[in-house]
Amino acid sequence: MSMSRRSFIKRAAFSGMAVTAVLSGADVAAASINSGNEFASIINLTKCDGCKNFGTPSCVAACRSKNQNRFPQAQKPIGDYWPQTKHEDWSEKQELSNRLTPYNWTYVQHLQVEHEGQEYEIHVPRRCLHCDNPPCASLCPFGVNEKMPEGPVLINPNGCFGGAKCRDVCPWEIPQRQGGVGLYLQVAPKYAGGGVMYKCDMCYDLIQKGQQPACVSACPNNALIFGLKGDMHDYARQWAQENSGYLYGLEEHGGTSTIYLSAVPFEAIHDAILNQEIDGKPGKPAMPVGVGNILDEPAGMAQGFLIAPVAGLLGAGLSVYKIMTGADNDENNEA
Amino acid sequence: MMKIMRHRWQIRFVHWVTALSIFILFFSGFGQMPVYKRYFVDQMPGLSWSSDYAITLHLHYYGAMILIFISVYYLFYLFLSKETDVLPKKGDVKESLLILLSLLGLAEEPENDKYLAEQRMAFAVTAVSILGLIITGLIKVLKNLPDTSIPLSLSFWATQIHNILTVILLISVVIHLLAFLIKDNRPLFSSMFTGRISLDYAKHRHSLWINRIEARNSKDKHIH
Repeated sequence: MSMSRRSFIKRAAFSGMAVTAVLSGADVAAASINSGNEFASIINLTKCDGCKNFGTPSCVAACRSKNQNRFPQAQKPIGDYWPQTKHEDWSEKQELSNRLTPYNWTYVQHLQVEHEGQEYEIHVPRRCLHCDNPPCASLCPFGVNEKMPEGPVLINPNGCFGGAKCRDVCPWEIPQRQGGVGLYLQVAPKYAGGGVMYKCDMCYDLIQKGQQPACVSACPNNALIFGLKGDMHDYARQWAQENSGYLYGLEEHGGTSTIYLSAVPFEAIHDAILNQEIDGKPGKPAMPVGVGNILDEPAGMAQGFLIAPVAGLLGAGLSVYKIMTGADNDENNEA
Repeated sequence: MMKIMRHRWQIRFVHWVTALSIFILFFSGFGQMPVYKRYFVDQMPGLSWSSDYAITLHLHYYGAMILIFISVYYLFYLFLSKETDVLPKKGDVKESLLILLSLLGLAEEPENDKYLAEQRMAFAVTAVSILGLIITGLIKVLKNLPDTSIPLSLSFWATQIHNILTVILLISVVIHLLAFLIKDNRPLFSSMFTGRISLDYAKHRHSLWINRIEARNSKDKHIH
């Protein structure tokens, strides 16, 4: 991409006008994907109204329609996850669009948020944020969950065993499990595995073709913006500065490919979600501010892997030296 | 009863530190599979932490550091001390079969050196598994670091090989322990604590080893 075009994009973005028109230019994405660039998206909560005038929010409807051929076809009956007496099955509730399920990869939280004595009506589109250092991918026991160079984090439905570890290590518990489908059925379905995990894949097929994710294209309010990650970061920071606004997703979890913009602090949004949304079942994520990454501490420990072999080498040298010089009395043929 | 030194303290140290680290790694590694919650392991007294991935991941890292330390120690110890009795020799596969047949009473047990042929074979399988686990494990550590990018196929295969070698190592540890079901092997057990075994037992079961030591001792006597 030429500098002039990049600066043009920035100017257009900051002017607050025509931003979607510019960034939706397929050639922008196509040009950058070839050079291995990373993408990100912006979710502007000051623009999202949850599509109050439509039945289902446009982004949710677009996501469902685009991905319907990839939704799980569960084999019935679905057995319990022995020795537990439960299993996860959303196949009879495929129409649900008010939470994340294996059949609904994005939804909009409708919140009444109180901030400085004022009530705000806030709509928060929720889906995978596509983290920079995603534990769901790194810690997948089967290595079938991967962070792509372009940004999306993808679960391979053919290799997924449905242990739901990815959901447990995700601070937003985004991936959702459907039982009765996937590889575990071929192995020992009663004793190991539990289905396949499903979540947003940033419409990887579309961005590879130089197009935008379905939710972004469908948004009637330009609340969703998609583009090069660096541009999106610049846009978000500038927006926060100019609007005295708040950002979420830039620092959280060590950085993500999704940045929320809001006029009210995310602490207040998080509290509102906890009070209004959470019902004890998976698929309704909160927004903990500054949430850490389970991989942060292990990263700090990694230098131990450099020290360990050096210590082993020195120890062996010392031991053998003692034996050779006779300082070690542990004689081999002492009878 | 006359005793003979079979394992120096260095070897006992390597054995038990390896055993400890492998135990930590097995337990924390299986904890990385989502099984402890499902199978109520975390309901057992004192094990409520076992289904916490952050804790088992930490433990796995510490266990891996200990294993790498002791593996490097042992590798250089072998290299520097030239005590290579445990390494496989030519003809060990055939001799192992002979030992197995002798267990069934179908053949005479061959004369043994310090280690039985099948022990040397088992050592090789275990050592190669551990080496592979360390290499693939380090690739996984690298993958977990922020701002590192390793090829997707490399991390995928590192994970698969790590899992397969874990199963192989688990089987070899189980066989290692089951070896004590065989009565003839039992006198070796205490030697991993004290370092010594009875000279009579060694003469009976490890005649080649004793012969070598005696030959060396008499040669030393001649020289002095």
